[in-house]
Amino acid sequence: MTSTSTSKGPRARWAITVAMTVFTLIVLGPIIDIFVKALTPNGTGLINGATLTLDNFTFVFEQTNMLHYLWNSLAVAIATSLIAVVIGAPAGYVISRSRSRLVSGYSLLLFVIQSLPVIVFVVPMFILFSSLGLVDNLQGIVIVYVSSAIPIACWMMSSYFDTIPQSLEEAAWVDGATVFGGFRRIVLRNSLPGLMSVAIFSFLAAWNDYLIALVFLRSDAVFTLPVGLQQFFQQNQVSWGPVMAAAVLMLAPPAIVFGVFQRYFSIGGIGGALAGT
Amino acid sequence: MKGGSRRTGFTYSSLLLPSLVLVALINAYPLVYAVNASLHDGSLIQQGDFVGLGNFGSVLSDPAFWASTRFTLIFVVASVLGSWALGTVLALILRIRFPGRSLFRVLLLLPWIVPIVATSTSWAFLLGTSSGALPTLFRNLGLGDNVLFLGDPVLAQITVCVFKIWISFPFTLLMMGSALEGIDQNIYEAARVDGASRWQQFTRITLPMTARTTYVTWILMAIFTINDFPSVWLLTGGGPVGATQTMVVYAYNLVFSEFLPGLGIAVAILITGLLVVVSVLLYRMIRRSFTIA
Repeated sequence: MTSTSTSKGPRARWAITVAMTVFTLIVLGPIIDIFVKALTPNGTGLINGATLTLDNFTFVFEQTNMLHYLWNSLAVAIATSLIAVVIGAPAGYVISRSRSRLVSGYSLLLFVIQSLPVIVFVVPMFILFSSLGLVDNLQGIVIVYVSSAIPIACWMMSSYFDTIPQSLEEAAWVDGATVFGGFRRIVLRNSLPGLMSVAIFSFLAAWNDYLIALVFLRSDAVFTLPVGLQQFFQQNQVSWGPVMAAAVLMLAPPAIVFGVFQRYFSIGGIGGALAGT
Repeated sequence: MKGGSRRTGFTYSSLLLPSLVLVALINAYPLVYAVNASLHDGSLIQQGDFVGLGNFGSVLSDPAFWASTRFTLIFVVASVLGSWALGTVLALILRIRFPGRSLFRVLLLLPWIVPIVATSTSWAFLLGTSSGALPTLFRNLGLGDNVLFLGDPVLAQITVCVFKIWISFPFTLLMMGSALEGIDQNIYEAARVDGASRWQQFTRITLPMTARTTYVTWILMAIFTINDFPSVWLLTGGGPVGATQTMVVYAYNLVFSEFLPGLGIAVAILITGLLVVVSVLLYRMIRRSFTIA
């Protein structure tokens, strides 16, 4: 069933292409619909012979705060992914190399923590952050995102480092390198795909989050796209065109990240890294 | 190995420290606080009197809690099995070399990549409004004049599960795809020589050889689904009449709509208990299959 690649005739292969095309069109229907509505006047769709227009985007850019939300979301997601890599990579290295019981206990703790419902942390963190002035504040939400990305970031990094033979560092140690030197010069230098997939994972997690932003962000000035879009959607239920144009803005950065860094999703990437744990 | 020496221990500790501080402050402290809050009544601003396990008592005697538990179980089982089955079938199809294969590989990941706020908006229109595609289709097929998928309790429950499968199958596709890549093709060759049928190859080679990834996928999907807030909240808000209220949505409503943080956190802790049991059990399972393999 999986290995029949060589035994299929060209006609059978094209039949698969046709079947997959139909399937994919149906499955992607809701996403295609977003684009159709965003590009037709008032989001009427193509039924009435309407022509394509960018009016909805002009409206969203000129009449709404969507561009501002987009900027907030980008800043928050980029900061989160950078910090998650800087903190997660060293910790992942120790989890991968150390045989200490404490470290493997820590690894289990991380696993348990990442399984806990966000709702458990949200209320206490909300109260703690209010007293620190970190509610309704973009720095505050970056801290929350980093802390919720860290367990998986450590796990992904450690399973990536597992694939790098320890003999490489041992050779460096023999040549007089320190443990940290070996990590930095040998291991990190060979870990670009692993680092990239952690960065992508944390970026997407921050970008897509809804619950934390819903609770922590209260004013228009600091809204990220998900809450901003949701509020815009509730206020404009009838005008699907601008709503869907805003939805396109929301999906563009992940789509670009995915398009550019696609190979990191498959090569030792997000799926692979998790599967390797 | 250099490990064990004092300097290595020091380096390891300092490499681990930043994550440890963050985990302790942002994850562990709120957890302790949450346990404490679950034992008190009061509001978000002012903690009230110590009520012991009273909050848990009120939650456990609330029929809405049990309704949300029941729907959560349906939601988890349907989403985990549904997305795993769909992802596995697609991963198998994508192993075959056919024209456009790499394009489909990318396109089929879109439901996972596109933010839920955007896709739930689109689903709400296509299924939940009378001019949407599915109600229109049902009208034309004579299956009902105005079938609104988010207005009827049972239809809304089905819709939420299908939506969750839809956003999750790309993840299971990636997981199962990478597991399939790891299988040595010579095994299939040998099985064919011995006269194994396609089905036998699937059940005797493919399934056992991907069992570890299957476990991991189930665990992760179960955890993701139990914790899932946005796909229910954005699509139905837990309605109609609470039909699609999962435990997490129920907890959120208790805290932020009814302003009963003690009760909400008590529910969250019950969910946590469930998750800790599930994840520790499954973690052991992976570790074990890891050492066998």
